[in-house]
Amino acid sequence: MTNRTNGAPVAESTKGIRFDAVSKWFRRKDQAVHALSRVSLDIAEGEFVSLIGPSGCGKSTLLRLTGGLLLPDRGTISVRGEAPAEARRLKHYSFIPQQPALLPWRTVRQNVSMLGQLNRRAGVAGISAEAQLELLEHIGLGAFVDSLPKELSGGMQQRVSIARAFALGAPLMLMDEPFSALDEITRADMRYLLLDLWGQAGCTVVFVTHSIPEAVVLSDRVVVLGARPGRIIEVIDVDIPRPRHEDVEDSDAYHEVVARVRAALKEGSAPR
Amino acid sequence: MSDVDTRHDEAGADEPPERTPHRVRRALLVIAPFWGLGSFFAAWELYVRLADVRPLTLPLPSSILRHIIENPGFYWEHGLVTVQEAFWGFWLAFFAAVLVATAMAHSRFVERATLPVIVLTQSTPVAVLVPVFVLWFGFSPWPKILTAALFAWIPFVANALTGLRSIDEDTHELLRSVNASRWEVYWRLRVPQSLPYLFSAARICIGLALVGAVIGEFFNSSEGLGNTARVAQSRLLVDQLWGSVFVLAFIGVVFVLVLIAVERRVLRWHSSQDLI
Repeated sequence: MTNRTNGAPVAESTKGIRFDAVSKWFRRKDQAVHALSRVSLDIAEGEFVSLIGPSGCGKSTLLRLTGGLLLPDRGTISVRGEAPAEARRLKHYSFIPQQPALLPWRTVRQNVSMLGQLNRRAGVAGISAEAQLELLEHIGLGAFVDSLPKELSGGMQQRVSIARAFALGAPLMLMDEPFSALDEITRADMRYLLLDLWGQAGCTVVFVTHSIPEAVVLSDRVVVLGARPGRIIEVIDVDIPRPRHEDVEDSDAYHEVVARVRAALKEGSAPR
Repeated sequence: MSDVDTRHDEAGADEPPERTPHRVRRALLVIAPFWGLGSFFAAWELYVRLADVRPLTLPLPSSILRHIIENPGFYWEHGLVTVQEAFWGFWLAFFAAVLVATAMAHSRFVERATLPVIVLTQSTPVAVLVPVFVLWFGFSPWPKILTAALFAWIPFVANALTGLRSIDEDTHELLRSVNASRWEVYWRLRVPQSLPYLFSAARICIGLALVGAVIGEFFNSSEGLGNTARVAQSRLLVDQLWGSVFVLAFIGVVFVLVLIAVERRVLRWHSSQDLI
Protein backbone atom coordinates (compact mmCIF):
# COMPACT_ATOMS: atom_id res chain seq x y z
CA MET A 1 0.00 0.00 0.00
CA THR A 2 1.29 3.47 -0.81
CA ASN A 3 0.25 6.11 1.67
CA ARG A 4 1.36 9.62 0.82
CA THR A 5 0.96 13.07 2.26
CA ASN A 6 2.71 15.63 0.12
CA GLY A 7 4.99 12.89 -1.13
CA ALA A 8 6.18 11.90 2.34
CA PRO A 9 5.51 8.34 3.51
CA VAL A 10 2.96 7.98 6.25
CA ALA A 11 4.00 6.29 9.47
CA GLU A 12 2.50 2.82 8.95
CA SER A 13 2.79 2.00 12.63
CA THR A 14 -0.16 4.18 13.65
CA LYS A 15 -2.81 2.28 15.61
CA GLY A 16 -5.53 4.68 14.65
CA ILE A 17 -7.30 5.53 11.42
CA ARG A 18 -5.90 7.83 8.76
CA PHE A 19 -7.83 9.31 5.84
CA ASP A 20 -5.69 10.93 3.21
CA ALA A 21 -7.50 13.04 0.58
CA VAL A 22 -10.30 10.50 0.24
CA SER A 23 -12.85 11.09 -2.53
CA LYS A 24 -15.85 9.04 -3.50
CA TRP A 25 -18.36 9.32 -6.32
CA PHE A 26 -21.58 7.41 -6.79
CA ARG A 27 -23.04 6.84 -10.21
CA ARG A 28 -26.80 7.42 -10.38
CA LYS A 29 -27.93 6.67 -13.90
CA ASP A 30 -25.70 8.91 -16.05
CA GLN A 31 -24.78 11.31 -13.29
CA ALA A 32 -21.75 11.05 -11.06
CA VAL A 33 -22.68 12.26 -7.56
CA HIS A 34 -19.75 13.57 -5.58
CA ALA A 35 -20.28 11.89 -2.22
CA LEU A 36 -16.99 12.86 -0.57
CA SER A 37 -14.38 15.38 -1.60
CA ARG A 38 -10.77 15.17 -0.41
CA VAL A 39 -11.41 14.14 3.16
CA SER A 40 -8.31 14.02 5.33
CA LEU A 41 -8.52 13.10 8.99
CA ASP A 42 -6.53 11.31 11.66
CA ILE A 43 -8.26 9.40 14.39
CA ALA A 44 -6.08 8.30 17.29
CA GLU A 45 -6.27 4.91 18.93
CA GLY A 46 -8.91 4.85 21.65
CA GLU A 47 -10.49 8.07 20.44
CA PHE A 48 -14.24 8.57 20.18
CA VAL A 49 -15.04 10.57 17.04
CA SER A 50 -18.49 11.56 15.81
CA LEU A 51 -19.35 12.35 12.22
CA ILE A 52 -22.25 14.78 12.01
CA GLY A 53 -23.90 16.55 9.13
CA PRO A 54 -27.04 16.92 7.05
CA SER A 55 -28.30 14.02 4.98
CA GLY A 56 -26.28 13.60 1.83
CA CYS A 57 -23.06 14.82 3.46
CA GLY A 58 -21.47 11.42 3.06
CA LYS A 59 -21.12 10.56 6.74
CA SER A 60 -22.42 7.03 6.27
CA THR A 61 -20.25 6.69 3.17
CA LEU A 62 -17.21 7.71 5.20
CA LEU A 63 -18.10 5.08 7.80
CA ARG A 64 -18.42 2.39 5.13
CA LEU A 65 -15.11 3.42 3.58
CA THR A 66 -13.52 3.09 7.02
CA GLY A 67 -14.96 -0.40 7.38
CA GLY A 68 -13.84 -1.51 3.94
CA LEU A 69 -17.44 -2.03 2.87
CA LEU A 70 -16.85 0.54 0.10
CA LEU A 71 -13.67 1.45 -1.73
CA PRO A 72 -12.51 5.07 -2.21
CA ASP A 73 -12.13 6.40 -5.76
CA ARG A 74 -9.25 8.70 -4.81
CA GLY A 75 -6.97 8.91 -1.78
CA THR A 76 -6.07 6.29 0.77
CA ILE A 77 -7.37 5.03 4.09
CA SER A 78 -5.20 3.24 6.57
CA VAL A 79 -6.58 1.42 9.58
CA ARG A 80 -4.02 0.33 12.13
CA GLY A 81 -1.53 0.43 9.30
CA GLU A 82 -3.64 -1.78 7.04
CA ALA A 83 -5.99 -1.20 4.17
CA PRO A 84 -9.63 -1.34 5.41
CA ALA A 85 -10.32 -4.52 3.45
CA GLU A 86 -7.43 -6.24 5.20
CA ALA A 87 -8.55 -4.91 8.59
CA ARG A 88 -11.96 -6.40 7.86
CA ARG A 89 -10.39 -9.74 7.05
CA LEU A 90 -8.62 -9.59 10.43
CA LYS A 91 -11.92 -8.80 12.18
CA HIS A 92 -10.74 -5.44 13.45
CA TYR A 93 -14.25 -3.98 13.30
CA SER A 94 -17.36 -4.16 15.39
CA PHE A 95 -20.26 -2.70 13.48
CA ILE A 96 -23.46 -1.33 14.99
CA PRO A 97 -25.97 -0.68 12.21
CA GLN A 98 -28.88 1.73 12.27
CA GLN A 99 -31.41 -1.04 12.93
CA PRO A 100 -30.65 -3.63 15.62
CA ALA A 101 -30.29 -6.19 12.78
CA LEU A 102 -30.66 -9.15 15.12
CA LEU A 103 -31.18 -12.55 13.56
CA PRO A 104 -34.81 -13.23 14.54
CA TRP A 105 -34.31 -17.01 14.78
CA ARG A 106 -31.50 -16.68 17.30
CA THR A 107 -31.97 -15.98 20.99
CA VAL A 108 -30.35 -12.94 22.59
CA ARG A 109 -27.43 -15.05 23.76
CA GLN A 110 -27.00 -16.64 20.33
CA ASN A 111 -27.11 -13.25 18.64
CA VAL A 112 -24.45 -11.88 20.93
CA SER A 113 -22.11 -14.79 20.24
CA MET A 114 -22.67 -14.76 16.48
CA LEU A 115 -19.91 -12.44 15.25
CA GLY A 116 -17.29 -14.53 17.04
CA GLN A 117 -18.41 -17.61 15.11
CA LEU A 118 -18.04 -16.03 11.67
CA ASN A 119 -14.83 -15.83 9.65
CA ARG A 120 -13.01 -18.18 12.02
CA ARG A 121 -9.82 -17.94 9.98
CA ALA A 122 -9.17 -14.52 11.56
CA GLY A 123 -8.87 -16.25 14.94
CA VAL A 124 -11.03 -13.65 16.70
CA ALA A 125 -13.65 -15.50 18.71
CA GLY A 126 -14.60 -12.58 20.96
CA ILE A 127 -15.15 -12.71 24.70
CA SER A 128 -16.02 -15.97 26.46
CA ALA A 129 -19.58 -17.22 26.89
CA GLU A 130 -19.47 -16.34 30.60
CA ALA A 131 -18.23 -12.84 29.83
CA GLN A 132 -21.08 -12.47 27.32
CA LEU A 133 -23.59 -13.38 30.00
CA GLU A 134 -21.98 -10.90 32.39
CA LEU A 135 -22.16 -8.24 29.72
CA LEU A 136 -25.87 -8.94 29.13
CA GLU A 137 -26.45 -8.91 32.88
CA HIS A 138 -24.60 -5.60 33.15
CA ILE A 139 -26.75 -3.88 30.54
CA GLY A 140 -29.96 -5.12 32.14
CA LEU A 141 -30.78 -8.03 29.85
CA GLY A 142 -29.96 -10.80 32.31
CA ALA A 143 -33.56 -12.01 32.33
CA PHE A 144 -33.77 -12.11 28.55
CA VAL A 145 -30.73 -14.11 27.47
CA ASP A 146 -32.91 -16.89 26.06
CA SER A 147 -35.59 -14.63 24.59
CA LEU A 148 -36.17 -14.21 20.90
CA PRO A 149 -35.72 -10.73 19.43
CA LYS A 150 -39.43 -10.36 18.69
CA GLU A 151 -40.10 -10.62 22.42
CA LEU A 152 -38.00 -7.52 23.12
CA SER A 153 -38.78 -3.81 22.81
CA GLY A 154 -36.91 -1.67 20.27
CA GLY A 155 -34.64 -0.24 22.96
CA MET A 156 -33.80 -3.70 24.30
CA GLN A 157 -33.06 -4.95 20.80
CA GLN A 158 -30.64 -2.10 20.28
CA ARG A 159 -28.97 -2.99 23.60
CA VAL A 160 -28.46 -6.50 22.29
CA SER A 161 -26.96 -5.05 19.13
CA ILE A 162 -24.52 -3.02 21.25
CA ALA A 163 -23.69 -6.04 23.41
CA ARG A 164 -23.05 -8.06 20.24
CA ALA A 165 -20.56 -5.44 19.06
CA PHE A 166 -18.70 -5.28 22.36
CA ALA A 167 -18.72 -9.07 22.69
CA LEU A 168 -16.48 -9.29 19.64
CA GLY A 169 -13.86 -7.19 21.43
CA ALA A 170 -12.63 -5.60 18.21
CA PRO A 171 -10.26 -2.62 18.45
CA LEU A 172 -12.46 -0.46 16.20
CA MET A 173 -16.12 0.24 16.55
CA LEU A 174 -18.20 1.66 13.71
CA MET A 175 -21.67 2.94 14.52
CA ASP A 176 -24.15 4.16 11.94
CA GLU A 177 -26.81 6.27 13.69
CA PRO A 178 -27.46 3.38 16.08
CA PHE A 179 -29.99 5.27 18.20
CA SER A 180 -31.93 7.08 15.50
CA ALA A 181 -34.85 4.64 15.55
CA LEU A 182 -35.37 4.98 19.31
CA ASP A 183 -37.62 7.31 21.26
CA GLU A 184 -35.95 10.32 22.89
CA ILE A 185 -35.93 8.95 26.45
CA THR A 186 -34.48 5.57 25.53
CA ARG A 187 -32.05 7.33 23.29
CA ALA A 188 -30.70 9.51 26.10
CA ASP A 189 -30.20 6.43 28.32
CA MET A 190 -28.38 4.66 25.56
CA ARG A 191 -25.68 7.35 25.34
CA TYR A 192 -24.50 6.71 28.86
CA LEU A 193 -24.73 2.95 28.48
CA LEU A 194 -22.49 3.26 25.45
CA LEU A 195 -20.03 5.51 27.31
CA ASP A 196 -19.94 3.02 30.15
CA LEU A 197 -19.15 0.07 27.88
CA TRP A 198 -16.68 2.05 25.81
CA GLY A 199 -14.88 3.16 28.98
CA GLN A 200 -14.27 -0.48 29.82
CA ALA A 201 -13.38 -1.62 26.31
CA GLY A 202 -11.21 1.32 25.30
CA CYS A 203 -11.70 0.80 21.56
CA THR A 204 -11.58 3.44 18.86
CA VAL A 205 -15.07 4.59 17.87
CA VAL A 206 -16.37 6.25 14.71
CA PHE A 207 -19.93 7.30 15.44
CA VAL A 208 -22.28 8.64 12.77
CA THR A 209 -25.18 10.71 14.01
CA HIS A 210 -27.38 13.65 13.15
CA SER A 211 -28.01 14.53 16.77
CA ILE A 212 -25.84 17.34 18.10
CA PRO A 213 -26.35 16.51 21.83
CA GLU A 214 -25.47 12.89 21.16
CA ALA A 215 -22.28 13.81 19.31
CA VAL A 216 -21.16 16.24 22.02
CA VAL A 217 -21.93 14.01 25.01
CA LEU A 218 -20.15 11.03 23.51
CA SER A 219 -17.16 12.32 21.59
CA ASP A 220 -13.60 13.47 22.03
CA ARG A 221 -13.94 15.23 18.70
CA VAL A 222 -16.90 16.08 16.50
CA VAL A 223 -16.29 16.11 12.76
CA VAL A 224 -18.81 18.41 11.08
CA LEU A 225 -19.50 17.54 7.46
CA GLY A 226 -21.19 19.55 4.73
CA ALA A 227 -23.07 18.31 1.71
CA ARG A 228 -22.73 18.52 -2.08
CA PRO A 229 -19.99 17.53 -2.18
CA GLY A 230 -19.52 15.82 1.16
CA ARG A 231 -16.55 17.43 2.90
CA ILE A 232 -15.19 18.30 6.34
CA ILE A 233 -16.31 21.75 7.49
CA GLU A 234 -14.68 21.75 10.89
CA VAL A 235 -13.28 19.38 13.48
CA ILE A 236 -14.34 20.46 16.96
CA ASP A 237 -12.64 19.29 20.15
CA VAL A 238 -14.94 18.45 23.04
CA ASP A 239 -13.09 19.51 26.18
CA ILE A 240 -15.41 17.95 28.69
CA PRO A 241 -13.75 15.73 31.28
CA ARG A 242 -14.58 12.03 31.46
CA PRO A 243 -16.27 10.04 32.84
CA ARG A 244 -19.35 11.91 31.70
CA HIS A 245 -22.78 11.47 33.27
CA GLU A 246 -26.23 12.91 32.69
CA ASP A 247 -25.33 16.18 34.42
CA VAL A 248 -22.89 16.93 31.60
CA GLU A 249 -25.86 18.14 29.59
CA ASP A 250 -26.43 20.93 32.12
CA SER A 251 -22.84 22.22 32.05
CA ASP A 252 -21.68 25.40 30.32
CA ALA A 253 -18.88 23.56 28.53
CA TYR A 254 -21.45 21.28 26.94
CA HIS A 255 -23.65 24.15 25.78
CA GLU A 256 -20.67 25.97 24.38
CA VAL A 257 -19.61 22.98 22.25
CA VAL A 258 -23.19 22.39 21.12
CA ALA A 259 -23.31 26.02 19.94
CA ARG A 260 -20.04 25.63 18.03
CA VAL A 261 -21.23 22.45 16.32
CA ARG A 262 -24.49 24.13 15.39
CA ALA A 263 -22.64 27.13 13.96
CA ALA A 264 -20.38 24.85 11.92
CA LEU A 265 -23.38 22.93 10.58
CA LYS A 266 -24.98 26.22 9.56
CA GLU A 267 -21.83 27.28 7.79
CA GLY A 268 -21.74 23.96 5.95
CA SER A 269 -25.29 24.30 4.70
CA ALA A 270 -24.88 27.93 3.56
CA PRO A 271 -25.09 28.28 -0.23
CA ARG A 272 -21.70 28.58 -1.81
CA MET B 1 -37.66 8.75 44.91
CA SER B 2 -40.86 10.53 45.83
CA ASP B 3 -42.65 10.02 49.13
CA VAL B 4 -46.01 9.45 47.54
CA ASP B 5 -47.23 5.91 47.96
CA THR B 6 -48.28 4.64 44.55
CA ARG B 7 -48.85 1.02 45.50
CA HIS B 8 -52.23 -0.52 44.92
CA ASP B 9 -52.20 -3.41 47.36
CA GLU B 10 -54.77 -1.90 49.73
CA ALA B 11 -58.53 -1.68 49.33
CA GLY B 12 -59.69 -0.96 45.80
CA ALA B 13 -56.83 -3.00 44.44
CA ASP B 14 -56.07 -2.72 40.76
CA GLU B 15 -56.90 -6.26 39.72
CA PRO B 16 -56.87 -7.85 36.31
CA PRO B 17 -60.28 -7.93 34.63
CA GLU B 18 -62.57 -10.94 34.77
CA ARG B 19 -61.27 -13.81 32.63
CA THR B 20 -64.35 -15.86 31.82
CA PRO B 21 -65.56 -14.09 28.65
CA HIS B 22 -62.07 -14.45 27.25
CA ARG B 23 -62.06 -18.19 27.93
CA VAL B 24 -65.43 -18.67 26.28
CA ARG B 25 -64.25 -16.82 23.22
CA ARG B 26 -61.17 -19.03 23.05
CA ALA B 27 -63.23 -22.19 23.27
CA LEU B 28 -65.46 -20.94 20.47
CA LEU B 29 -62.42 -20.29 18.33
CA VAL B 30 -61.21 -23.84 18.89
CA ILE B 31 -64.58 -25.30 17.97
CA ALA B 32 -65.16 -23.08 14.93
CA PRO B 33 -63.29 -25.15 12.30
CA PHE B 34 -65.07 -28.37 13.31
CA TRP B 35 -68.38 -26.58 13.39
CA GLY B 36 -67.79 -25.23 9.88
CA LEU B 37 -66.79 -28.60 8.50
CA GLY B 38 -69.68 -30.36 10.22
CA SER B 39 -72.21 -27.83 8.88
CA PHE B 40 -70.88 -28.26 5.36
CA PHE B 41 -71.43 -32.02 5.36
CA ALA B 42 -74.72 -31.77 7.26
CA ALA B 43 -76.03 -29.32 4.65
CA TRP B 44 -74.90 -31.66 1.87
CA GLU B 45 -76.54 -34.66 3.51
CA LEU B 46 -79.76 -32.74 4.13
CA TYR B 47 -79.92 -31.31 0.64
CA VAL B 48 -79.46 -34.73 -1.02
CA ARG B 49 -82.09 -36.31 1.22
CA LEU B 50 -84.69 -33.52 1.05
CA ALA B 51 -84.30 -32.68 -2.64
CA ASP B 52 -84.12 -36.39 -3.46
CA VAL B 53 -81.01 -36.00 -5.67
CA ARG B 54 -80.08 -39.07 -7.72
CA PRO B 55 -77.00 -40.81 -6.21
CA LEU B 56 -75.35 -40.71 -9.64
CA THR B 57 -75.45 -36.92 -9.55
CA LEU B 58 -74.46 -36.51 -5.93
CA PRO B 59 -74.33 -39.34 -3.39
CA LEU B 60 -74.86 -38.93 0.34
CA PRO B 61 -71.67 -38.10 2.23
CA SER B 62 -72.65 -40.78 4.72
CA SER B 63 -72.77 -43.45 2.04
CA ILE B 64 -69.41 -42.32 0.65
CA LEU B 65 -67.93 -42.62 4.12
CA ARG B 66 -69.53 -46.05 4.55
CA HIS B 67 -67.96 -47.20 1.28
CA ILE B 68 -64.53 -46.08 2.45
CA ILE B 69 -64.90 -47.75 5.83
CA GLU B 70 -66.05 -50.99 4.19
CA ASN B 71 -63.06 -51.06 1.82
CA PRO B 72 -60.12 -49.89 3.92
CA GLY B 73 -57.53 -52.10 2.20
CA PHE B 74 -58.52 -50.86 -1.24
CA TYR B 75 -58.14 -47.18 -0.36
CA TRP B 76 -55.03 -47.77 1.71
CA GLU B 77 -53.31 -49.56 -1.15
CA HIS B 78 -54.17 -47.01 -3.82
CA GLY B 79 -53.76 -44.06 -1.49
CA LEU B 80 -50.25 -45.20 -0.63
CA VAL B 81 -49.31 -45.30 -4.32
CA THR B 82 -50.52 -41.74 -4.89
CA VAL B 83 -48.91 -40.50 -1.68
CA GLN B 84 -45.56 -41.97 -2.67
CA GLU B 85 -45.66 -40.39 -6.11
CA ALA B 86 -46.66 -37.03 -4.67
CA PHE B 87 -44.09 -37.31 -1.89
CA TRP B 88 -41.12 -37.91 -4.19
CA GLY B 89 -42.39 -35.32 -6.64
CA PHE B 90 -42.68 -32.80 -3.82
CA TRP B 91 -39.11 -33.31 -2.63
CA LEU B 92 -37.72 -33.46 -6.14
CA ALA B 93 -39.33 -30.09 -6.82
CA PHE B 94 -38.10 -28.71 -3.51
CA PHE B 95 -34.46 -29.63 -3.98
CA ALA B 96 -34.39 -28.63 -7.64
CA ALA B 97 -35.98 -25.27 -6.77
CA VAL B 98 -33.60 -24.54 -3.88
CA LEU B 99 -30.61 -25.47 -6.02
CA VAL B 100 -31.69 -23.30 -8.94
CA ALA B 101 -32.76 -20.41 -6.68
CA THR B 102 -29.41 -20.55 -4.87
CA ALA B 103 -27.54 -20.22 -8.14
CA MET B 104 -29.86 -17.41 -9.22
CA ALA B 105 -29.56 -15.53 -5.94
CA HIS B 106 -25.78 -15.51 -6.22
CA SER B 107 -25.37 -14.43 -9.80
CA ARG B 108 -27.25 -11.84 -11.80
CA PHE B 109 -26.14 -13.57 -15.00
CA VAL B 110 -27.52 -16.94 -13.92
CA GLU B 111 -30.72 -15.24 -12.81
CA ARG B 112 -31.25 -13.50 -16.13
CA ALA B 113 -30.34 -16.61 -18.08
CA THR B 114 -32.62 -18.88 -16.05
CA LEU B 115 -35.63 -16.63 -15.72
CA PRO B 116 -36.98 -17.15 -19.27
CA VAL B 117 -36.84 -20.92 -18.82
CA ILE B 118 -38.73 -20.65 -15.55
CA VAL B 119 -41.34 -18.37 -17.09
CA LEU B 120 -41.65 -20.91 -19.89
CA THR B 121 -42.37 -23.72 -17.42
CA GLN B 122 -44.72 -21.38 -15.61
CA SER B 123 -46.84 -20.50 -18.62
CA THR B 124 -46.89 -23.93 -20.24
CA PRO B 125 -49.85 -26.05 -19.13
CA VAL B 126 -47.49 -28.69 -17.81
CA ALA B 127 -50.11 -31.44 -17.82
CA VAL B 128 -49.55 -31.69 -21.55
CA LEU B 129 -46.08 -33.03 -20.81
CA VAL B 130 -47.41 -36.15 -19.12
CA PRO B 131 -47.63 -38.11 -22.41
CA VAL B 132 -44.00 -37.16 -23.02
CA PHE B 133 -43.02 -38.56 -19.63
CA VAL B 134 -44.99 -41.70 -20.39
CA LEU B 135 -43.11 -42.00 -23.66
CA TRP B 136 -39.83 -41.75 -21.76
CA PHE B 137 -40.50 -43.85 -18.70
CA GLY B 138 -43.43 -46.04 -19.69
CA PHE B 139 -45.34 -47.80 -16.97
CA SER B 140 -43.01 -46.87 -14.09
CA PRO B 141 -43.83 -44.42 -11.26
CA TRP B 142 -41.56 -41.84 -12.90
CA PRO B 143 -44.12 -40.13 -15.16
CA LYS B 144 -46.29 -39.54 -12.10
CA ILE B 145 -43.41 -38.35 -9.92
CA LEU B 146 -42.19 -36.00 -12.63
CA THR B 147 -45.67 -34.57 -13.16
CA ALA B 148 -46.05 -34.02 -9.42
CA ALA B 149 -42.62 -32.35 -9.33
CA LEU B 150 -43.44 -30.14 -12.29
CA PHE B 151 -46.62 -28.94 -10.63
CA ALA B 152 -44.88 -28.18 -7.33
CA TRP B 153 -41.82 -26.68 -8.94
CA ILE B 154 -43.14 -23.21 -9.75
CA PRO B 155 -44.25 -22.03 -6.28
CA PHE B 156 -41.11 -23.52 -4.78
CA VAL B 157 -38.68 -21.84 -7.13
CA ALA B 158 -40.48 -18.49 -7.02
CA ASN B 159 -40.61 -18.43 -3.21
CA ALA B 160 -37.10 -19.82 -2.74
CA LEU B 161 -35.75 -17.07 -4.95
CA THR B 162 -37.67 -14.36 -3.12
CA GLY B 163 -36.62 -15.79 0.23
CA LEU B 164 -32.94 -16.15 -0.58
CA ARG B 165 -32.85 -12.65 -2.10
CA SER B 166 -34.82 -10.73 0.49
CA ILE B 167 -32.16 -10.46 3.13
CA ASP B 168 -32.01 -7.56 5.52
CA GLU B 169 -29.39 -5.08 4.25
CA ASP B 170 -28.25 -4.00 7.73
CA THR B 171 -27.73 -7.61 8.78
CA HIS B 172 -25.91 -8.39 5.57
CA GLU B 173 -23.61 -5.44 6.15
CA LEU B 174 -23.04 -6.57 9.72
CA LEU B 175 -21.93 -9.97 8.50
CA ARG B 176 -19.73 -8.38 5.86
CA SER B 177 -18.11 -6.18 8.52
CA VAL B 178 -16.43 -9.29 9.95
CA ASN B 179 -15.73 -10.56 6.43
CA ALA B 180 -18.15 -13.47 6.62
CA SER B 181 -17.83 -15.70 3.57
CA ARG B 182 -20.58 -16.15 0.98
CA TRP B 183 -21.09 -19.60 2.40
CA GLU B 184 -21.59 -18.21 5.90
CA VAL B 185 -23.99 -15.55 4.63
CA TYR B 186 -25.87 -18.29 2.79
CA TRP B 187 -26.29 -20.69 5.68
CA ARG B 188 -26.61 -18.23 8.53
CA LEU B 189 -28.67 -15.55 6.84
CA ARG B 190 -30.17 -16.46 3.47
CA VAL B 191 -31.41 -19.96 4.28
CA PRO B 192 -33.10 -19.18 7.62
CA GLN B 193 -34.54 -16.00 6.14
CA SER B 194 -36.11 -17.97 3.28
CA LEU B 195 -37.76 -20.58 5.52
CA PRO B 196 -41.05 -18.68 5.94
CA TYR B 197 -41.26 -18.34 2.16
CA LEU B 198 -40.49 -22.03 1.65
CA PHE B 199 -43.09 -23.06 4.19
CA SER B 200 -45.83 -21.04 2.57
CA ALA B 201 -44.81 -22.51 -0.79
CA ALA B 202 -44.90 -25.99 0.74
CA ARG B 203 -48.50 -25.53 1.83
CA ILE B 204 -49.52 -24.90 -1.76
CA CYS B 205 -47.17 -27.54 -3.13
CA ILE B 206 -48.62 -30.38 -1.07
CA GLY B 207 -51.89 -29.91 -2.93
CA LEU B 208 -50.15 -29.36 -6.27
CA ALA B 209 -47.99 -32.47 -5.93
CA LEU B 210 -51.13 -34.51 -5.27
CA VAL B 211 -52.81 -32.95 -8.30
CA GLY B 212 -49.76 -33.80 -10.40
CA ALA B 213 -49.69 -37.40 -9.21
CA VAL B 214 -53.41 -37.84 -9.89
CA ILE B 215 -53.18 -36.34 -13.38
CA GLY B 216 -50.25 -38.62 -14.09
CA GLU B 217 -52.40 -41.54 -13.01
CA PHE B 218 -55.25 -40.45 -15.28
CA PHE B 219 -52.97 -40.82 -18.27
CA ASN B 220 -51.34 -44.10 -17.54
CA SER B 221 -51.66 -46.18 -14.47
CA SER B 222 -53.25 -49.28 -13.06
CA GLU B 223 -53.12 -48.07 -9.49
CA GLY B 224 -53.41 -44.94 -7.37
CA LEU B 225 -56.43 -42.84 -6.50
CA GLY B 226 -56.39 -41.08 -9.88
CA ASN B 227 -56.77 -44.48 -11.45
CA THR B 228 -59.51 -45.65 -9.08
CA ALA B 229 -61.45 -42.45 -9.80
CA ARG B 230 -61.07 -42.83 -13.57
CA VAL B 231 -62.14 -46.47 -13.52
CA ALA B 232 -65.08 -45.63 -11.24
CA GLN B 233 -66.20 -42.91 -13.62
CA SER B 234 -66.17 -45.22 -16.65
CA ARG B 235 -68.09 -47.91 -14.76
CA LEU B 236 -70.43 -45.51 -12.96
CA LEU B 237 -69.20 -46.62 -9.51
CA VAL B 238 -70.30 -43.38 -7.86
CA ASP B 239 -69.30 -44.35 -4.33
CA GLN B 240 -65.81 -45.34 -5.42
CA LEU B 241 -65.42 -42.14 -7.45
CA TRP B 242 -66.38 -39.98 -4.50
CA GLY B 243 -64.48 -42.24 -2.12
CA SER B 244 -61.32 -41.52 -4.10
CA VAL B 245 -62.06 -37.81 -3.88
CA PHE B 246 -62.62 -38.00 -0.12
CA VAL B 247 -59.46 -40.00 0.55
CA LEU B 248 -57.42 -37.59 -1.59
CA ALA B 249 -58.84 -34.64 0.31
CA PHE B 250 -58.09 -36.39 3.58
CA ILE B 251 -54.49 -37.07 2.53
CA GLY B 252 -54.04 -33.44 1.56
CA VAL B 253 -55.43 -32.20 4.85
CA VAL B 254 -53.29 -34.59 6.92
CA PHE B 255 -50.11 -33.49 5.17
CA VAL B 256 -50.95 -29.81 5.49
CA LEU B 257 -51.64 -30.31 9.21
CA VAL B 258 -48.31 -32.10 9.65
CA LEU B 259 -46.63 -29.25 7.80
CA ILE B 260 -48.29 -26.66 10.01
CA ALA B 261 -47.11 -28.52 13.11
CA VAL B 262 -43.54 -28.57 11.80
CA GLU B 263 -43.80 -24.93 10.78
CA ARG B 264 -44.88 -23.91 14.25
CA ARG B 265 -41.79 -25.46 15.73
CA VAL B 266 -39.31 -24.33 13.10
CA LEU B 267 -40.69 -20.81 12.65
CA ARG B 268 -41.27 -20.09 16.32
CA TRP B 269 -39.20 -16.94 15.81
CA HIS B 270 -41.28 -15.64 12.93
CA SER B 271 -44.13 -13.15 13.34
CA SER B 272 -46.41 -15.34 11.18
CA GLN B 273 -46.65 -17.72 14.14
CA ASP B 274 -47.81 -15.12 16.65
CA LEU B 275 -51.54 -14.95 16.10
CA ILE B 276 -52.42 -18.58 15.59
